[in-house]
Amino acid sequence: MQSARTAYPVTWRIMDALEAFAATVWPANWTRAVPYLMLAPAVLLVGLLVLGLIQIGDTSLRTLDTSTFLLSEEYTLANYQRAFTEPLFAAVAARSLLGALIVTAITLVFAFPYAYVMVRTSSPALRKFLLIALFLPFFIGQVVRAYGWLIILGNQGMVNEALGLVGVEPMRLLYNYPAVLFGLVQYMLPFAVLMVAPALTAIPEELEAAAGSLGADWLRTFFHVVLPLARPGLTGAGLVVVTLSLTDFAMPAILGGGSQDFIANAIYDQFFRTSDQGLGATLALMLVAVGSLLVGLIFTLFGAGTLAMGRARE
Amino acid sequence: MHDATTDAGAREAQGSQPVAVSVLDVSMVYDGVHAVRDASFDLPRGRFLTILGPSGSGKTTLLRLIAGFQKPTKGDILINGTSVNAVPPHKRSIGMVFQRLALFPHMTAAENVAFPLKMRRTDARKIPERVDRYLDLVKLGGFGQRRIHELSGGQQQRVAIARALVFEPDLLLLDEPLAALDRKLREEMQLEFRRIQRELGVTTINVTHDQREALVVSDEIIVMDHGVIQQKAEPSRTYRSPRNAFVASFIGVTNFIAGDARSLAGDTVVVGVGESEWTGVIGDKACPLNVGAPVRGAIRAEQIRIARDGRALEGAGSRHAGIVSDAIFEGERVVYEVRLPDLGDTLMRVFDHGPHDTIAVGDEVYLGWNPDDVLVFDDEAGHP
Amino acid sequence: MTRRDFLSYPLDRRRFLRGTAATGAAAGLTALGLPHALAQEPEKPGEIIVRAWGGSWVESLEKGVSDPFTEMTGIAVRHDLTEDNEIQPKVWAAVAQNRVPPIHINWDTTTNATKSALRGVTEDLSDLPNLANVTDLAKPVGLDGYPIVNTYGYVYVLAYRPEAFPDGPPKSWKDLLDPKFKGRIALYNDGIGFHFPAQVAGGGSLDDIPGNMQPCWDFVEEIKAQEPLLGEDPDFTTWFQNGEIDAACTISTNAREAKKNGIDIAWVVPEEGAKFDTDGLWIPKGLPENELYWAKQYINFALTKDAQQVWLDGLGLPGVVPGLTPPEDLVDDPSYPTKEEDFADLIRISSKVQVENESDWFAKFKAIMQG
Repeated sequence: MQSARTAYPVTWRIMDALEAFAATVWPANWTRAVPYLMLAPAVLLVGLLVLGLIQIGDTSLRTLDTSTFLLSEEYTLANYQRAFTEPLFAAVAARSLLGALIVTAITLVFAFPYAYVMVRTSSPALRKFLLIALFLPFFIGQVVRAYGWLIILGNQGMVNEALGLVGVEPMRLLYNYPAVLFGLVQYMLPFAVLMVAPALTAIPEELEAAAGSLGADWLRTFFHVVLPLARPGLTGAGLVVVTLSLTDFAMPAILGGGSQDFIANAIYDQFFRTSDQGLGATLALMLVAVGSLLVGLIFTLFGAGTLAMGRARE
Repeated sequence: MHDATTDAGAREAQGSQPVAVSVLDVSMVYDGVHAVRDASFDLPRGRFLTILGPSGSGKTTLLRLIAGFQKPTKGDILINGTSVNAVPPHKRSIGMVFQRLALFPHMTAAENVAFPLKMRRTDARKIPERVDRYLDLVKLGGFGQRRIHELSGGQQQRVAIARALVFEPDLLLLDEPLAALDRKLREEMQLEFRRIQRELGVTTINVTHDQREALVVSDEIIVMDHGVIQQKAEPSRTYRSPRNAFVASFIGVTNFIAGDARSLAGDTVVVGVGESEWTGVIGDKACPLNVGAPVRGAIRAEQIRIARDGRALEGAGSRHAGIVSDAIFEGERVVYEVRLPDLGDTLMRVFDHGPHDTIAVGDEVYLGWNPDDVLVFDDEAGHP
Repeated sequence: MTRRDFLSYPLDRRRFLRGTAATGAAAGLTALGLPHALAQEPEKPGEIIVRAWGGSWVESLEKGVSDPFTEMTGIAVRHDLTEDNEIQPKVWAAVAQNRVPPIHINWDTTTNATKSALRGVTEDLSDLPNLANVTDLAKPVGLDGYPIVNTYGYVYVLAYRPEAFPDGPPKSWKDLLDPKFKGRIALYNDGIGFHFPAQVAGGGSLDDIPGNMQPCWDFVEEIKAQEPLLGEDPDFTTWFQNGEIDAACTISTNAREAKKNGIDIAWVVPEEGAKFDTDGLWIPKGLPENELYWAKQYINFALTKDAQQVWLDGLGLPGVVPGLTPPEDLVDDPSYPTKEEDFADLIRISSKVQVENESDWFAKFKAIMQG
């Protein structure tokens, strides 16, 4: 007994027992089912999501009765009519869409050189610094970061103090559209850099040297070689940034000073301020629709980028 | 292999053609280490030069300096008589074929070839014709619309060559583009390079670690080691008259015999190994030997004859008895390793192309060679 | 309606360090006015969960009501700081699904509470003994019985920095239209508290509410040109403290909070009047019998004079029990009405009207401001 114990560590015997147990409850010829079984949680999640969407769809067809604060029993398209006709929602939707596009464009323009330097620099110290600077914001939530901007950009904030030193009167930097877009760009930048960097890593440095030897200066090398080859990364990053910006809530709420609502803020208002779940559901569904359309449009124009996966060839 | 060219012949060739590339005393230092040290050479227009050396010898660095991807720490590089130190790569008229080809994967073969023309703002109407002409040159007529990943390795090589040549550069640089190919394709492409280079007469610098490639394709070979140019000469001369032990060892199958120089008479050196002696000739006439100095003699495997019976080697100037320690059958020949007790147990490799099943491991044999074939080098000079 | 929003409230450490520290004001059980003898009391629950607003709001409640209640009954009180507008759908869903609701007591705006009452998710509180001693303010207007008990009132004052008004305090809401206040004024982001005085300032009549609110919207349009900041309760305090704004339409408590922090702030009820409203406590349906009983005892206790005095001193607001002593700094303050004539300039609109029309007003205000 003693010798057996030393020969086989107890962990081995536990594993043996477990394996034997596993073999009885899960015969080997069932193993083909394993991949499907592992898929089950994901399918379940997606299923729940679909159920939720159906529920929201149902709610969106009912109006709120403000004498009982219950949703109507019968179905009606009144919420959709409101969503399409009330200028408030058109204004908010236009603001969100335009904002998402501007934020995406600026973010990509900023993210690209950042990712490029990070990937291409020959200095490990610089790369490390850029990586840390990139990841640090991830540990600071979006809301906290937005509050940071309130402190920095406020009338008595650091920026205005600095401007005061050179004799500039304090100015309102917050609570307007540019402030919201600024906050969003700052929030999205790490996502974009992380999506673009792998695409740049995949471009052999030799290609750029080759373009140079073939007569292209850095600008033409960038436009004819680097940019086209980085397109999958840029498309992927653009998709992520455009959808996250379009659906953002906290930045417009905190940096917008109440007058720069995005679609998500309008939805929040319906659910939590006016208790009108019907209209809230309608707006939510329309946000899903607009987002899907936008993504579809990007897919059509630029391909699915790094999100295409599979065996797609560029 | 080419005909032997004399020094005079080489000088004549240089004299008849203007110099295309001059490297003047160029050094490149990374982190205090010399990747290239005091390199100097001239390359006449139209010649095919190969820079040969092991990895880390500085050959690729030298090529990149010429291409302009890096700036030399010291020295000057002239192309067609003008210093290009301050000229960025895209303004130098240099076509380059890269180690991994560096073809643009998002373009077709024709677009790749057209790229340098577009970048150099060639008249757009003339581009298609030029592209077709160069695709024809590399025997890829009709393949222009293929994507790069739809081409075989050899076809990709050809696209890379066409792309490097289509804008008619002053200089073609080849950065070991054949290294990744299998032997058969590599040898085919070597000849292809040679053909195209001759057809166009473009001055070419090729970098490789493959001595066979260097011998086959080049007009001239520079052998580099530890960042230093060891020898620059025509292939046959490099092979037959290596300037030092390193060159001798890097090209061909070379045996080395150690010893001390005991006496000098003209070019002839008598070298002692313990009790016995052997004879050779001074390998580098520019570098005289001193009596008593440690030296090494280099002799090619194919210059040694082997026989079981010593009498068969009558006429060979040197003859030594030895024991066969290994016999390697290589098809067209057998390589014997023979231990020579009277030369300090030196292992000699010998080729035998004759009927060869008569000698076995452990047999006592005789090796014979002509003392004039043993090149004696100062042990300190060159790096083995 | 929605106030003290999710965005910022200082997390109250007391939420974690709940104790049963004595507050000195240890009233006897008789203070509860319990109609039953001790032996008949239903079983005590381990704790009572009261939804509350954070910061000084919950601190005041704890000091004035929760701690003494625990002292007397031995029942711990937990404060749930989920926002009022976010707890609402949860409670509604729980009642709809016959589940036990997530809280015992909701401290809510009367308007929001009225929505819940209309929806029928509130317990009737008419049998609380201490309702015998309260003023009319405690009774929700336009509802049957006591589905909610109002516990204090408050005024949406015009708060301002005297520094920005060198010619003396503002007299009218129209004073906010001065070009020098462009970008320097603040309103609630749904316009709450501003609609009714705006109706007057816009040349309309309060009697036309809700039928004709056009004067209100005209005035809101004018204010919109001044680019006001739009926020929630804590925003006003922050904005005043950070010098972002010179004037705001906000509950006096927020302005007083900034004043306590050393900012020079004053407030007035302008000539057009200011909105007066109430907050209350209510109990969601679906609680076990014994827990309902003790939740009712909690609200009953909140209506005692002792509890109101301490709780409302903290908030600086007038309670619903006669004979309370105003905090020193608020004696004769327009935001602390005590006498009949104090209410003359204050605008009260029934909860029912507000509840039924609020969504529309809100949407209209948003449409103007977001346009």
